[in-house]
Formats: sequence, structure tokens, C-alpha cells
Amino acid sequence: MTQSAAPLMSEFEADAVVAAAETVADDVVLLTLRPADQAHLPAWTPGAHLDLILGDGSGEVVRQYSLCGSPATRDSYQVAVLRTPDSRGGSEAVHRLAEGDRLRIRGPRNHFPLVSSPRYVFVAGGIGITPMIPMIEEADAAGADWVLHYGGRSSDSMAFRELLTKYGDRVHLVPQDQTGLLDLEAVLGTPAPQTLVYCCGPEPLLRAVEERCHAWPSNSLHLERFTPKERADDGDDAAFEVVLQRSGLTIQVPPGTSVFDSMRDAGVSVLGSCLEGICGTCEQTVLEGDVDHRDSVLDEDEQASNECMMVCVSRARGPRLVLDA
Amino acid sequence: MSIPRNAWYPIAASEEVGRAPIARRVLDVPVVLYRTTSGEPVALEDRCAHRPVRLSDGVLEGDLIRSTYTGFTYDPAGRCVSVPTQDHVPYGAAVRCFPVQDDGSFVWVWAGETGLAALRTPPDTALLRDAGWTTFGGSLDTAAGIGLLLDNFCDITHVAQLDQDIAPPALTAGPTPPLEVEVSETTVRFWRRFDASPLAPWNAQVLELPEDAEHEQVEEGEFVGPGYWVDRWTVEVKGHDDRDGQHVFVFSHALTPLSATRTRHIWRVSRNFASSAAADGTLTPLFEAYYARVGEVLEQMQSILDEEGPRPEVAVAADAAVSHVRRIVQRMVADELGG
Ligand code: FES
Repeated sequence: MTQSAAPLMSEFEADAVVAAAETVADDVVLLTLRPADQAHLPAWTPGAHLDLILGDGSGEVVRQYSLCGSPATRDSYQVAVLRTPDSRGGSEAVHRLAEGDRLRIRGPRNHFPLVSSPRYVFVAGGIGITPMIPMIEEADAAGADWVLHYGGRSSDSMAFRELLTKYGDRVHLVPQDQTGLLDLEAVLGTPAPQTLVYCCGPEPLLRAVEERCHAWPSNSLHLERFTPKERADDGDDAAFEVVLQRSGLTIQVPPGTSVFDSMRDAGVSVLGSCLEGICGTCEQTVLEGDVDHRDSVLDEDEQASNECMMVCVSRARGPRLVLDA
Repeated sequence: MSIPRNAWYPIAASEEVGRAPIARRVLDVPVVLYRTTSGEPVALEDRCAHRPVRLSDGVLEGDLIRSTYTGFTYDPAGRCVSVPTQDHVPYGAAVRCFPVQDDGSFVWVWAGETGLAALRTPPDTALLRDAGWTTFGGSLDTAAGIGLLLDNFCDITHVAQLDQDIAPPALTAGPTPPLEVEVSETTVRFWRRFDASPLAPWNAQVLELPEDAEHEQVEEGEFVGPGYWVDRWTVEVKGHDDRDGQHVFVFSHALTPLSATRTRHIWRVSRNFASSAAADGTLTPLFEAYYARVGEVLEQMQSILDEEGPRPEVAVAADAAVSHVRRIVQRMVADELGG
């Protein structure tokens, strides 16, 4: 029999209609998105994020936002988006959306899953609250013991304040203009047994939480980045070889070209979205070889396990990698 | 493969559950099912709190169920409400009550963390009740783990190896067209579009088309959750006047893990054409035989795994769907186990 062509991979993608666009805090808009041509959307779990694909005249803008509604709602997705002046135009375009507007959505995918635990400490900074909303709903429903420490510039800038009041004193709101910064020493200073720490927010907060959690058992900390982690430049990229086991191909990856691009050039369909190592879409299973991890998705333990890699940014330490692709 | 507990499983067909208690099982837990006087389904652990007897051997008294051995009587929430030998019900006497939903096709139970049931919804089965579709089906217990059934549904190319009578000639007509795979966090869908090729004789017969006529055909499979799988086979008929259009078979598979190595498989075959009983008469024995044959092969696989243990498998490009489904299921299990 003739060899059949390699499978074409894609992620769920659909047209969506903005069913509601509400301002829920200073510069934060909450969008409710309904599918244009189907009744249900794929199910998701807390921590999942979605691509919004917007045309902005000059071309396509793709941005990723955490789902912040309830997984029990199957006919719409919700995302909350902060208008950021710096951003490469994405959040401005989202803020221009009005009820009835159309856009494409892609995903959802989840590289920040809520792992079962008897206790959780949730730490959110600013718009980093979004993935925490479904997470605490789930932790609460499962009967876990949890606290949320939620910091923001000012009370008015903090989305979901009202919704969080129903959880009573499990929620600690820390508006900077009234109470200063989150006291991470008090929150994370002493490692707690059987407790997972979930954190999402701006890079300085993530880094501070990472530092505090060094004293915690490994695997305690789960965090999500929306911008690539800064990394020391390890000099020039070297060329290496990648064996794609299932496809029966061996490809060369030259300096300056990603494994992702080299796989595509060889006709292998591989999923990708952010292409900067933050979304986890391009994850591949590693069968052999040492990976030079350059992504912001995997934590230190996951990187050390060498079981998978993000091929859009990560490379080989040695001359050769074998992937299950 | 370990099996997710935090999932809705279709423990029985809706019509199987009524005013007589029935015994079922999910993930090694015996479950008694019945309906209240108002028709609401009830799912309780099928073991009396007093002695090791099955409540499913008992009787209903209104909305309550009474063990005909111990006389302990339980309400639909599993609370013991009376015992024969004393006035006071022993403090805390109860059997486990499972979250349960009836969608008119299946009764779904949740055997995982109770509080999470409200945050997940069972798959949509509306097509099985749609007046535009004709559905028949059957069920079987297979001595094979649910993972083997899911792997099997991920790849229908083996149909041609397994059952020449049922296999569409398109599957063996030439190189298989490329598989397209679409994934989300919790779902995997794949499809292949075959160039115009002849239909299997039974398929031509129910479509009332000449056997040698060639049509484009589309194979599709969808993993909607660990307990539900849907396949579709579409024949695009052109140039046959009033027979033109998309003729679709939908194969729905409701799967419940009875244990790590046994699975209840309720299958339904639906079609949007030829609603006659005569067509049912042609199709039913064909598919009964086919699913029984698949069950036998899967049981063999399970016994090989039991005797010799799993081994690394050689994968082919077309296993892209299998590997994504396995990844989703493994992640569900890992997230549940924590750590
Ligand atoms: S494509 Fe986003 S991590 Fe590689």
C-alpha cells in the first residue's frame, strides 16, 4: 500500500458573536462570546485559555485570554481583557468590540490546569485574576480549603470584586492605593503541607512568587505567563538533527530556525499559536535527546523531566532529538 | 490505562430505568437505579449499610427503596429513613448517592468528586431523539478496558481487516486520504474525505442506489469525553435525482467503565434517510455482528495485556488522533490524582 500523507492537525476554530461587552473594572471589558453556527462549544476546565483572532485592517491579530466564566456554561465563553497601552494592538482591538460584532475563536487549550489538592493558595495580580475565577469555583465545589490573595492598583481597577464577596473571608483583596502591595512573606513565607500555589499576574509578581516558593516542596507552584519569561542569552544557536519517529522523517534544524519551522518545512503538520513559548500549543513528546528548554510554559521540574518540549522556541543541547511526531 | 472518575458516564439507556430497581456498575462500584413516582432517576450505591445485601434486590415504596432482607429503607438522597427493629434511625445511616441526569437517551452518573458534577455537563445526545433521524442499537459488556475501546474508535481503518461485509470499499480502494485532526482541550475530532468510490452492497441497498455507482464519502470520528464517542459516515449522492444529498450514518457509543478491564458499550446507529423497518431489518443484524466481533478482538487484547503486560507500541502517522485522545484522558487522571 502506498504511504498515506501525514495527518493535518488543527485546533478547534469557529466564528463567534459578541453577545455582551461590559466594563467590569477600570479599563477591563468582560466579553461573552457565543458560537455563530453551533449550539455548544467544546468543554474546558479551569485554567484554560482561548485565542481571539481579530482583523484590524492591517491584518490579523491573535491574542490569548484565560476563560473566566464557568465550565458548566456550554453555549458561550467569557474572557476579561485589560486595555494595555503598551500592547501590540491586541487589547485595543478587543476593547473596540461591541455587542453583535463577529470574530474568530480558537482553542480552548489548558497549560495551567487545576490539579486536585486538599488546599490551595491562589495569588492574583491585576488582570491575572481571570483564570482564578473558575479555579476557585472548582476548588470550592470540591470542598478544598483555599484562600485567594488578590492585589491590584486600586479597588476600581480590580475586576470581579462583587462576585468574590460570596466567598467571604477566603478572599483577601489588596488594593495597592489603600493597603500597599501583596505581603508575599506573610502569604508564602512558610511552606504549607499538601498545598498548591496558583499564581497569575504581572511578571514582577510571578518572579517574586517563584522566589518565595523555592522553599516549598517541588511541584507546589503553578503559574501562568502571558509574556515570555526573560532568559539569559546562551550564545549562538547550534544546528542539530531531529528524528520524527511516527512520520519516519529526519530533519536538520539550522541555527536561527526553530524546530517548529523545520517540521513545517518538512511537511509535518504541527500545531502552533503564539510561537514565543507561552501558550503550550506546539508541545511535542520527546523520546530521546537533551532539550534546551526556552519556553515559559513548563516549570523547572517539567523541563528537567525532559519528557516534552515546546518546539516553537526550544532547541537541542546535543546533536540530536527524537520526537514522537 | 487509568480511568478518569470526574466524568459523566452513561450507566444505562433511559428506557432501562423505571419503577423496578436495576443493578448497574461504574468504576467497581455497584449502583442501584430506579425512578421516583414523578419519574426522576435515582442512583445509589447498591449495598445496604446494615448487611452486605443488594438494594437492587429490594422493593420500592413510593420514592423510597427497602431492602427485603434487612428492612432498611432509604430515600432518593441515600439517607436511611427507617429500620424495622427500632424507632430511631441509627445516626448517619446512609448509602452513597450519586449525581445523576437523564437526557432522554441515557441515564448519566457521576462517580467522582460529588461537588464537581454541577460544573461539568454530559455530552449532547439530542440527535438520538431527533424525529429527522431513525435510530436502532444494542448493548454489550466487553471484558476490555475503556481505553482499548477508545483506541479502537480512533482508527477505523481496521474495519476493512475485521469485517469485509461491512467495510466500505473506499477504505481499501487505494492509499487512505490524509487524516485531518482537530483538537481542543477536551475533544478530538478527525475526518477523511474519500474520492468517489463504490459503496458497500448493504449501503447501496438501503440507499436504493445501483451497487456500482461511485460517490464521495466522508469518515468522521469524535471523542466528546471519556464516556461518549461519535462516528459519522457521509455519502454524498450526486446525479440520482431525488436521492441526491448527504446521506449520513451516525454511530454513537456510550461507554461506562465497569472496572479497569470491563466496559459497558451501548451503541446506537442513526441515519437521516430510509426510515423504513425493512431497512432496520437489513442493518440491525449486520451491526450486531460487527460490534460483537469488535468486542471479541478487544477482549483478546485485554487478555494479552493481562498475561504479558503492556509494551511500547510502534505508532504510525495516522495515530495522531489516538495519541491526542490518550493525552486528554491521561491529563484528566493526572489532575484528579494531584501531586
Ligand atoms: S506555539 Fe505557543 S508555545 Fe509554541
